[in-house]
Amino acid sequence: MRFKVGAATSVGQVRPINEDAFLVEEDRALFVVCDGMGGAAAGEVASLLAIQTIGAYARDGAIGNGTHRGFQPRTAGLGRAVEEANRAIIQRAQQDSANAGMGTTVVAIWIGEGLASIAHVGDSRLYVRHAYGFEALTSDHSLVEAQVQAGLIDREQSLKSEHQNILLRALGREPDVEVELGEATLAVGDRLLLCTDGLTRTVTDEGLAAALDRFVGDPQGACDHLIAAANDNGGPDNVTAVVVEVQGSRLSSLFKRS
Amino acid sequence: MPKLILKFDDRDLSECAVGTHPITIGRLPDNNLVIDNPAVSGRHARVYREGNHYVLEDLKSTNGTFVNDKPIARHTLLEGDVILVGKHTVVFTQQGGEQVEPPKEEQFVPEIGGTRMLDTQKQKDLLGNLDRGRPAQVYDAVVPKTAIPTAHGRIGHIKVVSGDTGQSEYVLSAVTTMIGKADTAQIRLRGWFKPKVAAAIARKGEGFTITPMGGKLAVNGEKVTSRRDLASGDLIEVSGITLEFTLS
Repeated sequence: MRFKVGAATSVGQVRPINEDAFLVEEDRALFVVCDGMGGAAAGEVASLLAIQTIGAYARDGAIGNGTHRGFQPRTAGLGRAVEEANRAIIQRAQQDSANAGMGTTVVAIWIGEGLASIAHVGDSRLYVRHAYGFEALTSDHSLVEAQVQAGLIDREQSLKSEHQNILLRALGREPDVEVELGEATLAVGDRLLLCTDGLTRTVTDEGLAAALDRFVGDPQGACDHLIAAANDNGGPDNVTAVVVEVQGSRLSSLFKRS
Repeated sequence: MPKLILKFDDRDLSECAVGTHPITIGRLPDNNLVIDNPAVSGRHARVYREGNHYVLEDLKSTNGTFVNDKPIARHTLLEGDVILVGKHTVVFTQQGGEQVEPPKEEQFVPEIGGTRMLDTQKQKDLLGNLDRGRPAQVYDAVVPKTAIPTAHGRIGHIKVVSGDTGQSEYVLSAVTTMIGKADTAQIRLRGWFKPKVAAAIARKGEGFTITPMGGKLAVNGEKVTSRRDLASGDLIEVSGITLEFTLS
């Protein structure tokens, strides 16, 4: 499986600094987006530390044979990489009081054998555009999402809630953070979107799907378009988008095995 | 309440209390702290509250903002910090008044935007008994290596009807069960021309789905080109083998 990848990030129109971070490693099919938080640039430290730690940990050697709660070894390995990032952030915060209280969200995918292993914590999201539809592959660890799940408010109300920025989970806050894992099968032509809430709060799901459809074969164009849309809508927050388009192997275009 | 004390040549010129609203510092008269000096930009810097701290931010001023003689773009203020704006100094102090007031109820929604993590107690207060109303997380309470029931507590099985996979029956214990020649495939196909991954069966909330991934796939004789739901009793034909799916 080969990939065509686009990535873009912007500080937005309001914030003084960009605390988002992303990692794109096409060769290893590892893609990560993080949204850092914490005063005085500490969020920047947390998100950077997270992508670095995950990048360093998620090597093939880290996959191992162990499955975890029914997930593939690769998924379990990615989950451990995210846990490692959590430990690294907590440790750094303890060493340096300027970084106390820093944290970050994370959404990460690691693809192998047509299967995307997914790990996420917080409200950064993963979407997929299949031939047969557009769907969110993560559900936010946020107060409003919990309220929606519990039936206390509906989806529309959640988009207007003043509590939108309240997370229930983040890296860097607790030593034993619960990393949510997932898996998704991929087909040639599928497009994956990893993004921070700076995008999902300014562009509707329909808008995201439309951008992915408009820029088929041009994932960088899709990212640039989405970032511009977020900034046009006020750019209230840092915004980051990574789009991964699944392409067939060179051989598979020549013949299809049965 | 903490305050900013404007000084020139060690003389106190004025004071400005810092509360929940941002304080702007600059030459123009509509700033909260006005410094009428050509070395000061119209809007030079601002101080705002973030959580229990106060942050000083330079507003891209011409001559810069310095704290304790170091240029800053953004700086979390500490007691006694000396801010240099042009030729004037501004001292940040929380003494001589009451301490920073404890965060108010709405404080967890910060004024300057910014994602916040809720502490556990606040979370419990806001969510109340919400957890109890939520359907049990499927992944919880699962013992590794045992079958994972769907949300309705049912378990998926695969029986090999024809073809050789080295095993005649499978319990769908994984979140995603791969069918193919790859090492990661649980239902292992044999033979040179078999695809590494032919199809995948995934557990999805209330049931199971199957997705073709490089092999020819049919369910109940019908060609399948994208993900579809599986029903108990479905016959799956994939890359030369036939499997029967059941839910129990």
